[in-house]
Amino acid sequence: MNEDYLWDGSGEPDPEIQKLETTLGRFRHQGQVPEFPETTATAQPRFWQRLMSSRWSFGLAAATATILFIAAFGILHWSQKPNTTPLPGWDVESLAGTPRVESNALGNTSGTTRLGVGQTLVTDNRSKANISVADIGTVNVEPNTRLRLVAGGSGHSRLALDRGTIHAYIWALPGEFTVDTPSAIAVDLGCAYTLQVDDSGAGLLRTTLGWVGFKLEGHEAFIPAGAVCATRPKVGPGTPYFEDASSSFREALSKFDFAADTPEERGTDLRQILAESRQRDALTIWHLLARVGESDRGRVYDRLATLVPPPSGVTRDGILRLDQKMLDLWWNQLDLGDVSLWRTWERSWSQDKASRQ
Amino acid sequence: MSTSPALQTSDDASLVLAAREGDRTAFGGLYARYARMVHGILLARVPASDVDDLVQDVFLRALPRLRDLRDAAKFGPWLAAITRNRANDYHRQTRAVAAVTESLSGDEDEVRASSTVPDAEAAVILAFVRGLPETYRETLILRLVEGMTGPEIAVRTGLTPGSVRVNLHRGMLQLREKLSQASPGGATWSTFSNSRNSAAHGKIESRRRNQP
Repeated sequence: MNEDYLWDGSGEPDPEIQKLETTLGRFRHQGQVPEFPETTATAQPRFWQRLMSSRWSFGLAAATATILFIAAFGILHWSQKPNTTPLPGWDVESLAGTPRVESNALGNTSGTTRLGVGQTLVTDNRSKANISVADIGTVNVEPNTRLRLVAGGSGHSRLALDRGTIHAYIWALPGEFTVDTPSAIAVDLGCAYTLQVDDSGAGLLRTTLGWVGFKLEGHEAFIPAGAVCATRPKVGPGTPYFEDASSSFREALSKFDFAADTPEERGTDLRQILAESRQRDALTIWHLLARVGESDRGRVYDRLATLVPPPSGVTRDGILRLDQKMLDLWWNQLDLGDVSLWRTWERSWSQDKASRQ
Repeated sequence: MSTSPALQTSDDASLVLAAREGDRTAFGGLYARYARMVHGILLARVPASDVDDLVQDVFLRALPRLRDLRDAAKFGPWLAAITRNRANDYHRQTRAVAAVTESLSGDEDEVRASSTVPDAEAAVILAFVRGLPETYRETLILRLVEGMTGPEIAVRTGLTPGSVRVNLHRGMLQLREKLSQASPGGATWSTFSNSRNSAAHGKIESRRRNQP
């Protein structure tokens, strides 16, 4: 970064800053000088001038001195009380109706309230709320939603979405913001997504910007912008797919992930998925490598190799035995996000989980 | 873009003194000089669609209160404070709060309202800037959006040049980091633009499909 150019536009132009200037310049102020009304700035007498001109000024001064004395005494008394540090939590404000934080109803005009760790926010069918997630983002809460704040400390912010819909817009470092659902954990890897959970605990995650990780036990899914991923209780995240995939591709994938099919039926679903896949669907095919049985993995490998050739260091044998390093190398070749972010989070999450047990 | 700070300050004082006496041309001169600062401070806090109206509102509020300004040379910092207060008032109005919160939750309204990919890209980047801590985002917007230099920002807002320099430097580092993290498959600004384009496209297309 050219500091001089950033400071006053001097020196060698910095291409990065120039591009930002050009892109953001469309928001620049363009207005002409408007016609201002013929208003002479009228002098309002200052408060102390009005006060001193009053015939009650002496009495008021005495009363003020008395009040100041009492206030000083009160402050001294208060300052000697034990310090009560506010509990960690996030600010919540009502966007519509009356969302509730525990038993505290939050109306349109009652400003903000605090969602403390362990507390629950509930919206009914008419209410909506917004949560300011410390300094790292915002979460919009749709009607008919129930969520809890599990942790709100620095470097680790965690919600539990029991049911309903949230829109998360997060600018924290990857992995710092997670949302538990009854059937998977959503891990923000940078940006914006919508997460829905129904009463059965089934969920759907739709990423609008950046990418998100979805995890249950050993089952994981990466969902880049434009993709969605369903999740089911006791099953975990299904296979992510781009929303513009063909309907037959999506139907076959849904059956493959969640239907109680026979092995033959699953084989038929898999054939259809592979046959219908486009280059963009490499996202889905990569995930299938670890989700199919050994006997089918070779077919999945061949299809993915056609769509996105494996990079150097990735072998067929290695992928067939699900070598993690090779799988990660191939994922990075898809250009959908650096999987090392996820692995870093996974390590710290596992350590954190172990320390809690 | 550069003007002598000393000249700038004395000119402000004479314009303020004239404006106090009802000289509309002088007040127009102050508007021309400070509109970008007011616009930038507001843009850091409220939806872009409402900023232009609020700019004029800030000046209309400032005009009758000019006599309250003790040191005419401090017009810039005084006006900046009025502007920040106006943005706070905006947020206190319930309907407006809902509107801006929805916008800031991904600045989705602005992205959605963008008719072209460059517009959507700009809206997304602006959302990232708005996601920075307040001191950084205001200074960065004055620099990158309004085209003011660091010395100019210092003179107009009353911040010290050192503070402005630190805000620009740290804000830019944080912005770069966020852009890199948000860029699927890339860790540099150079790849951000393309990936943003596709992300913004995907978002717009997704919205379009979901519309009844």
